[in-house]
Amino acid sequence: MMLNSIMYSKWAQYMFIGVSAPGKPKLTSCRSPEKETFTCWWEPGEDGGLPTTYALYYHLENSETVYECPDYKTAGNNSCFFNKNDTSLWVNYNITVVATNALGKNISEPVEVDVAYIVQPNTPENVTAVVVDEDQGPFVRVSWEKPRTADTRSGWITLLYQLRVKQQKDKEWEEYNAGMQKYYNVFSLHPDTEFMVQVRCKPDHGFWSEWTQTTYIKMPDYIPRQRSLWIIITIFSVFIVLILTWTLNVKRNSVKLCLLPPVPGPKIKGFDKQLLKSGKTEEVFNSLVIQGFPPTIDYDDLLVEYLEVYDNEEQELVLDGKDLSEDCIKSKSPSDCDSGRGSCDSRTLLLEKCMVGRKGSGSDQHQYSQHGETSWASTESSECQGLEPGSPESSDGRVKTWPVVFSSPQPHHHYQAETVKPVYHSVPEILNHSSPHIMPTNYHHLHHQDIPQQEGRHGKPACRHSQSYNHFNLDGLNTPAPGVSPSRSLEYVEVQRVNPENMLLLRPLSDPNREPEGSDYAGEDYSKVKEVTSNNILLLRRDTSHHCVDDYSQASQCTTQQPPHPCKPVIYQSNSGMPQEGMRVMGNGYVDSTVLMPSY
Amino acid sequence: MSRSLKQVAVLLVALLCLDPHSRVSSAPICTHGPSGCHVPSLADLFDRVIQHSARMHSLSNDLHSEFEQYFLPSKNSIGKIYRKCHTSSILTPNGKENAQKLAREELTEVILKLLMAWRDPLFQLHQSMAHQQDFNSFSSNKALEMGDMTHELRKGVEKVAEKMRVLGMLGNSVTGLSPAETMLPISDSGEAMSNYELLYCFRRDSNKVQNYLKILKCRIIPEHDC
Repeated sequence: MMLNSIMYSKWAQYMFIGVSAPGKPKLTSCRSPEKETFTCWWEPGEDGGLPTTYALYYHLENSETVYECPDYKTAGNNSCFFNKNDTSLWVNYNITVVATNALGKNISEPVEVDVAYIVQPNTPENVTAVVVDEDQGPFVRVSWEKPRTADTRSGWITLLYQLRVKQQKDKEWEEYNAGMQKYYNVFSLHPDTEFMVQVRCKPDHGFWSEWTQTTYIKMPDYIPRQRSLWIIITIFSVFIVLILTWTLNVKRNSVKLCLLPPVPGPKIKGFDKQLLKSGKTEEVFNSLVIQGFPPTIDYDDLLVEYLEVYDNEEQELVLDGKDLSEDCIKSKSPSDCDSGRGSCDSRTLLLEKCMVGRKGSGSDQHQYSQHGETSWASTESSECQGLEPGSPESSDGRVKTWPVVFSSPQPHHHYQAETVKPVYHSVPEILNHSSPHIMPTNYHHLHHQDIPQQEGRHGKPACRHSQSYNHFNLDGLNTPAPGVSPSRSLEYVEVQRVNPENMLLLRPLSDPNREPEGSDYAGEDYSKVKEVTSNNILLLRRDTSHHCVDDYSQASQCTTQQPPHPCKPVIYQSNSGMPQEGMRVMGNGYVDSTVLMPSY
Repeated sequence: MSRSLKQVAVLLVALLCLDPHSRVSSAPICTHGPSGCHVPSLADLFDRVIQHSARMHSLSNDLHSEFEQYFLPSKNSIGKIYRKCHTSSILTPNGKENAQKLAREELTEVILKLLMAWRDPLFQLHQSMAHQQDFNSFSSNKALEMGDMTHELRKGVEKVAEKMRVLGMLGNSVTGLSPAETMLPISDSGEAMSNYELLYCFRRDSNKVQNYLKILKCRIIPEHDC
């Protein structure tokens, strides 16, 4: 009973659920392989349990005539194949599938198809891959043919090809577009591996075909040339790196020194760090004090030896004053040692300067004795360098050639030249009778010649110096002037005048009896000091009057003074005020700036 | 100073321009053939024309898909056109055999007819697209380009036909199109076709033109890419 009911219910189930009208079929796709025929496939719906038949119907656009599929078989199950005669391009097909069974039928959704746009060609054929060996390395040449059905010859279809390559183990394919050509060269494939190749194609407007069957190709074993070059380069560079490293290692220390030079610590001589740390700053800094700084130079050492080469005491030098003056003027050379002016203008004129000029003037006017010349010449350079007025500091011993002024107890005369400025000569070796510092050897002594009768030019006999005068004798007489003695004192000597025998009459500028006629020869280069005020101000006067300034008549006081050092300035006292230290006012109103040097 | 320099420079330039030897004059178009300049061969002309048509068709394809995408979201709409394209009166071969059966002259004529028929409608299409706010300027520019390209293509095909005629490949049966034959894109119902319909029809017709040209080319010059 139970069994019966179950069976009955089952049968009833079957009876009630069982058959039905077929489900709706569905057109899946329509494709044309060559744009001449096409096929449509459908998917059947549920069949409803009953045998169902399917039919495909179509009609063209703008036409109501319905046609049934001409060929259900060629393309397989659930397909409809339209042959060439039934295919029209550029026309819409309205296709439906009807499923029919005993209980009913069902119609699929209509599909609009334009054959021109559903072209999907067949796969390319005869894919071949060949290894081609060339200089750059082997590569693979893949070639194929068009699908048989596609008619590209008449231009009806244009196909574009594509291929893809991969190794067996790779996941991704490498794709290449070949365009319309039917071959392709694949480069840069790994050697000694097997590759898989596939090709497909597509019309210019349409769908891609399926990939062809895999074609296998094996790359030969080869070493790429480029790679070998790189290997060589790598080995070389490694080699070089090793050598460099080894060298660096050997010269480790010097490299360290080069790259990281040690920072010099402060090293002060006499500086004791420990002392500083201990906190006794005074002691520390005391140790820094250098004894004997600034250096005190014995001023004597600065003086040069006066003409020590001169071995004959009785040489006389006679200068031709006139020539001297001319040469002096000529000898204003750019290599003048004096800072400011030509040596001729300077009061510190060296005889050598004139000597230089004189030498060129001709030998017939040779007015110096042999010895005199050489001796003068020898001292020339030394004196030259030292005679920077106002530059007391000098580096070498040559500075010591301070102008040594002749002084002589004998009266002297003025030297006068109408057109020439007063020329002051300084001679390293002075014959100074009255000087306490008498050099016993090697001096020039100058002879004076008293020419009282010629002093009338100026007409100031009162100015005649009674003590000493000098003149240079051309003839080289060996008569030492009476009382002439060498002196180391520095004094300026002025040329008083030239006597007719071509002798320069000199007189020391420190001569107190000398009348201050130097004011006659003021010239434009000099300015006379009118007075010196108490606060170190020099008042200069510009006019060149011939009269003597009374202020300087007191100059006589100083002649008795002998400076302790020859270089010491002779300081004159004047009633108007004290000339300041370091400033030397000469008898004729000029200020000698050369003495503006610190007195060491 | 600079002013005078400028003037001098201007004078110099003027002098140079006036120099008879440096004057630019127009040279005559090659009349001597290979001795002068390069005269494009028939193959070259065909290639150019086919490229042109390909470009034209791709433009129409793009515009049509744009239209379908944005303006006709549902493909199931009944409103799909079943109107005839205005060029449907032109008899065109609808298959390969039919196309191959046509003589060269007829084929050329069909091509020219088609191109001629679309000259004005494309202009209208561009105009209407430009006016509507729905289109961006890119689309309307495409439509404009499409119209220009059709015009150029027609000129090109005429040149090809001329060349063929010169070479003796074409008979004289190809007649020029009279203006009377130009058709207006008016459907049977008398309404003007919509933009979508125009694009649909033009897409098809440009495909036809491209195909016909290729057939023509491979028939006349078979060696090249055929």
